[in-house]
Amino acid sequence: MKKIIVEGLKYKYPLADSLALNDVTFDIKQGEFIGIIGKNLAGKSTLCQALVGLVPHFYKGAYGGKVIVDGLEVKNHSIADLSLKVGMVFQNPFTQVTGSKTTVYEEIAFGLENIGIPRTEIIERIDSVLDLLNIEQVKDHNPFDLSGGQMQRMAIASIIAMKPDILVLDEPTSQLDPAGSEEVFQAIQSLSKQGITVILAEHKMEKIAQYCDRVLLLNNGKVVDFDTPGKIFSREDLEGYGLTAPVYTRVCKALGVKKAGTDEYPVTLEEAERVLRGDGA
Amino acid sequence: MIKIANLSFSYNKETRVLSGINLEFDRRSTAIIGQNGAGKTTLVKLMKGLLKADEGKILIHEHDVSGKTAAQLARTIGLVFQNPNDQIFKRTVLDEVMFGPLNIKMDKQTAKEKAIEALKMVELDDKLEMNPHDLSLSEKKLLCIASVVAMDTDIIIFDEPTIAQDHGGKEKIRQIIQALKDKNKLVMTIIHDMDFVAENFERTIVFNDGQVLLDGETRDVFSQKELLKTACVEAPGITKLAERLGFKDTVLTVDEFINMKKTYSPPQ
Amino acid sequence: MKSISLYEEKASFVHDVDPITKLWYIPFAILIPIILPSFTISFLFIGLSLVLLLGAKVIRKTIPVFGFVFLILITVVLIQGMFKPENETVLFQIGPLTMYKEGLLFALTITLRVINIICAFMILVLTTKPSDLVEALVRKGMSPRIGYVIVSVFQIIPEMMATMSTITDAQRARGMETEGKLLVRIKAFIPLLGPVVLGSLINTKERAMALEVRGFNSQAPKTYLYEEKTYQFSKVLQIGMLLLTMAAVSWRIFL
Repeated sequence: MKKIIVEGLKYKYPLADSLALNDVTFDIKQGEFIGIIGKNLAGKSTLCQALVGLVPHFYKGAYGGKVIVDGLEVKNHSIADLSLKVGMVFQNPFTQVTGSKTTVYEEIAFGLENIGIPRTEIIERIDSVLDLLNIEQVKDHNPFDLSGGQMQRMAIASIIAMKPDILVLDEPTSQLDPAGSEEVFQAIQSLSKQGITVILAEHKMEKIAQYCDRVLLLNNGKVVDFDTPGKIFSREDLEGYGLTAPVYTRVCKALGVKKAGTDEYPVTLEEAERVLRGDGA
Repeated sequence: MIKIANLSFSYNKETRVLSGINLEFDRRSTAIIGQNGAGKTTLVKLMKGLLKADEGKILIHEHDVSGKTAAQLARTIGLVFQNPNDQIFKRTVLDEVMFGPLNIKMDKQTAKEKAIEALKMVELDDKLEMNPHDLSLSEKKLLCIASVVAMDTDIIIFDEPTIAQDHGGKEKIRQIIQALKDKNKLVMTIIHDMDFVAENFERTIVFNDGQVLLDGETRDVFSQKELLKTACVEAPGITKLAERLGFKDTVLTVDEFINMKKTYSPPQ
Repeated sequence: MKSISLYEEKASFVHDVDPITKLWYIPFAILIPIILPSFTISFLFIGLSLVLLLGAKVIRKTIPVFGFVFLILITVVLIQGMFKPENETVLFQIGPLTMYKEGLLFALTITLRVINIICAFMILVLTTKPSDLVEALVRKGMSPRIGYVIVSVFQIIPEMMATMSTITDAQRARGMETEGKLLVRIKAFIPLLGPVVLGSLINTKERAMALEVRGFNSQAPKTYLYEEKTYQFSKVLQIGMLLLTMAAVSWRIFL
């Protein structure tokens, strides 16, 4: 089942000279884990925001083409309506804290209160997301007192509590230390396993290779390719788009060893280990 | 160049951020790694005179930092903060880079020369008259680096230079660090990107819970698997791969890996 | 987390009173002494407020506030006591300074008013969690957006202070002297404004987006995590205050 359909999407920010997204077309199936890669200003954030309606409703600007998320055409629905279908987590954990709540528990309730969920259900939902993202132990802390990793998991919990089927994340770990990033990726993966469709923009290619089913490669607002991590990272022209493949792929490329029976290079630590062991035998 | 003896610091009475730090820095480029909250930034702020130690001493070029203000120390030690938006004060790129040199009483002509030289390094010398806030985030970060480089200090410290940089941005930062090393300056960085550490820094110090857990040649540090785990730090990807394949020596770069692979065949 | 709220969490009967009722108490305590301008009434209200503050165990927190207020009131007393144009009756003399009865009585009226107002406000501020007050008002029909703005100020201002100190560090790191004489401090303050304003604008934009995707502008009727607190005697207290005010007005008009 197609969960997201993007057709000929064009978008220009107000005051900008050039298109931020230029004729973007792709679709995503229910339950897929999709990575978006591309150098800075390639259009990753804009595309993420187009999926939740911030583009065009928040920024205005010139908009063409179609984005259909779970049956709703983004252009014709408010951000609040869309938020029931698709949630978004941003880069900076700090600015996602509402600032109007004094505990993590209340913070997560914020969105649920806004969309009018009955009280008893609010409590059930909060208890379940606290457990899901493993932040139960800090539920009574002030949101601003959390570590970056905890704060970002709280942000995800706040979104997940609204029960969207689709989760969009824009470089959610760029401000976190490796341990914090790992916590967040583990949490996203467990959501993905529960059937939530995940779309993740990220610079850390090793993580993309490890977690994503398919990868969307953007350059100058256009889709260059949309394929499995193996196919994408085996491309010879990645550097031309300002990207480097995961270190495992680079080393195997240099040694000229591909995955058995395919035209692809390994993209994860495990794959590289397997291939390189086999190679020596 | 820097000597730290028995240094301790706490923001409030209950929690000690740093305790009993003893370190000496020579001209080797040094990466400081460890989890958030391990005390890395606090150490840097102490060296810079932005905080005052509870106990212990820091000597820079044999001078005790405790007697000097941060502004006085700015002549010897430069620090690039993590968030560019916190440190851009002027309206044009050129003025921004000249801000530091003028503060430390360089004359205008020299300040301008140093500024342009630094801007060339980060390839922003064609944008002298632009408003810094019209630059992209990664350009702003490079601008902030240039504005510290222009002060021509003996010691330069970076706080998370590679955050939110794409491949191109990282490549530029790598070149700047190399150029500073060539000028015989002490380059230090706080960083979470281990691949970048492995490829660019001679010495690595691992902080954990306000103490130095590991300190030495980067290669030796990344071979200490168990201790790294204690500090919640992972070795670079290529190092892990080599280790899994049973390579005898610790590998830091792709080139090293390839060389070693040629002379080695894995156990059957 | 530092908060700029003065609220102190304690268990007392004053804490248990409905925030709205405490809000009502402020105009009540201010209006009656104006309607019935006698020292007895003023003293009565100040006495009542002080008893409530004592009962709430927050009297300690009022000391710095009163300290500041007294400093100002002393100047009022001195100036009025010595220089009020209507001054006639000499009360006493200290060296060359003469204090007059008319001026001092006038100063006493002002002093009592000010203390009365401050007491009434402090009962609300010191014993009510800001978010409880706002939630109560939103339930009564205030716009949730205005409510959000009021509550978030309490947390976002301390956050901005933290940014300020980072920016000052960045200045000092680049050789700018920020310590020492007043002039030096003022000079250091000006370049601070750019990054502070810009930083908070960027934060505001990011936060606005984060709020949007959490249904901030949803048309659905809002619900609440906490059950509406039911307070005893709210109605009785509110009606009581209304009746007393009406009684005071009629006393003034008819007697």
